[in-house]
Amino acid sequence: MPIKIPSALKNANWQLILAVPVAAGILHICATLLAPYLTAASAYSRLAPGLPVNRMEMLNVSAPGAEPLPFLSPDARYAMCRFDTSGGPVTVSSTLPPDAGWTLTVMTPQGDNIYATASVPSRPTPVSLVLVPSEDAFLGVTPEARGIAREAQPPTVVSAVHGIVVVRGPDKGFSYQRHVEAVLREARCTARSF
Amino acid sequence: MEPPHVLSHSALTPLHVGLHRLHKRLSLLVGMLGDWAAFVGAVMILGLASSWYMIDVGTRLTSEKHGPWVGWTSAGRADADPYTRAHFARLGTLQLTTEIALTYLAYTDSDGNRLHSSCEYVVEGRDVDSNWWSLTVFNDRGDLIANAAQRYTYTSETIGLRPDGTYAVALSREASPGNWLPTGGAGRLALMFTTFDVRSPLLAKTHAEPMALPQIRRVQCR
Repeated sequence: MPIKIPSALKNANWQLILAVPVAAGILHICATLLAPYLTAASAYSRLAPGLPVNRMEMLNVSAPGAEPLPFLSPDARYAMCRFDTSGGPVTVSSTLPPDAGWTLTVMTPQGDNIYATASVPSRPTPVSLVLVPSEDAFLGVTPEARGIAREAQPPTVVSAVHGIVVVRGPDKGFSYQRHVEAVLREARCTARSF
Repeated sequence: MEPPHVLSHSALTPLHVGLHRLHKRLSLLVGMLGDWAAFVGAVMILGLASSWYMIDVGTRLTSEKHGPWVGWTSAGRADADPYTRAHFARLGTLQLTTEIALTYLAYTDSDGNRLHSSCEYVVEGRDVDSNWWSLTVFNDRGDLIANAAQRYTYTSETIGLRPDGTYAVALSREASPGNWLPTGGAGRLALMFTTFDVRSPLLAKTHAEPMALPQIRRVQCR
């Protein structure tokens, strides 16, 4: 039996039809916002179980069958520190050599780089950070706040409870391998005592 | 002539009336359920499919396409949009912020054909002074491709350049002279290009000529 268009239009439930784009929009927003939290395969969830807390560790060279993450190129070596500042501030320090391609980043579990710095070719780049759960929470107890420790250059304060500090050294070929590894080993990530 | 035999109202039994009412109510219910089923289906398809497309494929709002290369403009940034954040959470990659490095992925050659290990390709580009970059080949799941030569990547510091500053990298199963990245029997391939060049297209906010991304040319297929 052929469908009569005027009759179908007359009998259509226009309230439901008009509600479709609204409901689809709400579902679209919810699905998009929840996606990072629903995936079990984020970089943080893959890396965190294998990393010690508040200690820098140099990763092995990425090789077939032993890649810690997808699309992790062996174009660089990595030192990583899974930090947890819920028990107190964590200090991070490293000196990036004067070569292109070195970076130090602080990554949240959601993958955001809340702090990132790259090396510059002209001079070494010293990096000194203090990771705190919130900038207000430790104002009264950090050594600086009590006037005990006063470094020549105050460290940069970064607010984060959990995450990973990543120091990345570019692959410059076999001859530079030891130099790259030495710089990565010198990177520090330690829980600060009160 | 005998009149047609019809039932008068008085002849309908309570059973008939009950069945008739049940039939009407069921028809109404089926109609309403049909409407709601169509509503839920349309909402699911529109809502989830559009979300999937925006997260997986990206649009001009979130990503830039240069030939076969796709880069996400807010990758790794603290102020990244929800689509970019969801994209990289799903991909599971360690992303450097686009404020210091740009990463592009290519799943096709410059003609739009899917990269596959049964074909041979040449990746050609120009080295840019003082800017570190790398070119790495993966299978399409992001795994490195095992090979006896243990070659997976070239960087601006390990690649062999031509006298005019250009380079060519062969992608093939069989060994090739010069810069060669083995593809083995990986099947579908993905190429990743990372650069620290701030003049690259994603960050081309100056008047300087943006750096051209390498061309991926198919040589032959088996």
